[in-house]
Amino acid sequence: MSKLMNAKEYEESLRKLNLQVYMFGRKVANPVDDPIIRPSMNAVAMTYELAHRPEYEDLMTTTSHLTGKKINRFCHIHQSTTDLLKKSKMGRLLGFKTGCCFQRCVGMDAMNALSIVTYNIDKKYGTRYYTRFIEYLKYVQENDFVCDGAMTDPKGDRSLAPHQQKDPDLFVHVVEERKDGIVVSGAKAHQTGAVNSHEIIIMPTITMRAEDKDYAVAFALPSDAPGITYIMGRQSCDTRKIEGMTIDRGNMHYGGHEALVVLDKVFVPWDRVFMYKEYDFTTQLVESFAAYHRQSYACKVGVGDVLIGATQVVAEYNGADRASHVKDKIVEMNHLNETLYCGCIACASEGHREPSGTYLVDVLLANIHKHNVTRFPYQIARLAQDIAGGLMVTLPSAADLASPEVGRWVEKYFKGKSDIPTEHRMRILRLIENLTLGTAAVGYLTESMHGAGSPQAQRIMISRLVNMEGKKTTAKELCGIEKGDHLS
Amino acid sequence: MRNRKGRSPELKVGLKYCGGCRAGYHRVAAVERIRERLGDKIEFVSSDCVDCDFVLVVTGCATACVDTASFKGRPIRYIKSEDDVERFITEATGN
Ligand SMILES: Cc1cc2nc3c(=O)[nH]c(=O)nc-3n(C[C@H](O)[C@H](O)[C@H](O)COP(=O)(O)OP(=O)(O)OC[C@H]3O[C@@H](n4cnc5c(N)ncnc54)[C@H](O)[C@@H]3O)c2cc1C
Repeated sequence: MSKLMNAKEYEESLRKLNLQVYMFGRKVANPVDDPIIRPSMNAVAMTYELAHRPEYEDLMTTTSHLTGKKINRFCHIHQSTTDLLKKSKMGRLLGFKTGCCFQRCVGMDAMNALSIVTYNIDKKYGTRYYTRFIEYLKYVQENDFVCDGAMTDPKGDRSLAPHQQKDPDLFVHVVEERKDGIVVSGAKAHQTGAVNSHEIIIMPTITMRAEDKDYAVAFALPSDAPGITYIMGRQSCDTRKIEGMTIDRGNMHYGGHEALVVLDKVFVPWDRVFMYKEYDFTTQLVESFAAYHRQSYACKVGVGDVLIGATQVVAEYNGADRASHVKDKIVEMNHLNETLYCGCIACASEGHREPSGTYLVDVLLANIHKHNVTRFPYQIARLAQDIAGGLMVTLPSAADLASPEVGRWVEKYFKGKSDIPTEHRMRILRLIENLTLGTAAVGYLTESMHGAGSPQAQRIMISRLVNMEGKKTTAKELCGIEKGDHLS
Repeated sequence: MRNRKGRSPELKVGLKYCGGCRAGYHRVAAVERIRERLGDKIEFVSSDCVDCDFVLVVTGCATACVDTASFKGRPIRYIKSEDDVERFITEATGN
């Protein structure tokens, strides 16, 4: 039996790590119990907790194709389109349960992409990356680890290739080759859940050419390897988590986090190196990771479910739920949200088997899905703010509600329907604020825009993958410009 | 296997849930309702159980994507909605 950790065991496993974490200019001695970081740990912990609950385990767990043991689905390599479908469904479920980014998908996506590309590199060059990778995967599965999937480099001047940058560290690269491994330097930006991870899987962020071959490296590191420093990204309204009162947090329990991960001359043993200067495989790695990760934005549907629920509640508390335009806007929110769901289900059910045996999503449909994600959550958030009313941004604080001097005014003037406590109205408004402009908006909105690639990255893929010649030919045939095999 | 009152239940049922990604009703509450309404008549056991009368698969929607491969050869019954819950209870109680 591999270790199928529960939430508590996961938390304990993090305590054993010796991470170098900085936030607000200070070293964080104990990230697990830090009130700003902890909600993000709680969200990851949910991926462990649900694996032990009979009513969720069918999505949350599966059988390892390597060992035949029961494992958490986040450590799995997809063996069928059913696996891909269950991944999409699991994403929605967890987004719904936490109302935020639960951070564990990105490592799963990195492992699935590597399972395809290491195999293909070996076929071409006779290397042994796939065997190494499979050994590493077994280790991850046995220990039920969280892996940070680290692709995005800081990138410096976007118009320049890695080797042209004034500072060579703006993309992760090899600085020394040794008998027992390599030494790397650079950084990865925006790393989701980095401080909640046991492992970091590093991949190149763009297609590399021959001149950039020192940057064409993929490898895995324990998250507390010497030379790694984490600098926490800050989120809008983050310090509300340390104010002591819960109402203004919006989401009482869960959140996400991102960090800048600095690699300062970090040693990587050879058995953890999965690509070394095979720059001609960087495109394949970037594109297959991106396809999986674009599918992963199924989570936004689950978060959307929470926002729709909150919007309906506030409409009821405000006494506006019977207005026809409000009902119609809620229908519109559901329509947008379920349209998103269609995309992540479609790309999964149209998935296919790669030579390594791993199933990959339909890349075009995954890009379509993610492109919708760059838009629809913003539209859903707009409708939520419309229905919520301006109070979601002008509401006094929880401390004012509790104040012996002004609390009664807050209580009196922020009452909606007479049978609903003012505090409940404040709580639901704060949740909508959290999701559309607070800490959770990082995940629900800006991550929807840029995570797994900015919109233009999907448009490039869409233009490359559609069969434009086929469309033109049929159009020409139907109007008589060309002959085809049509009836009559 | 005997229940709390020392009698053998009429139905020994293996219980399996789907993953519940967008359940149209509360699956766990539905099973609780069955348990309450059928009382001593039913005993829910793990779906691994080989000597149960059947496996009851409780799914949140009609897609029923739950993995039933391990139940091969064993009778399976499905609950996919609230209506199915009532139907199941009616059949089991005979009214
Ligand atoms: C909340 C969040 C979580 C994330 N989590 C992860 C993670 O876990 N792991 C990970 O690896 N990454 C993660 N990312 C990073 C994400 O993949 C990047 O944000 C994305 O690839 C865009 O890169 P960028 O942010 O550097 O923006 P930029 O690349 O600077 O893009 C900004 C704009 O400039 C345009 N642009 C950029 N370069 C060019 C160019 N050369 N030519 C023309 N136009 C250009 C883009 O199209 C875009 O419109 C996360 C991002 C966010 C916001």
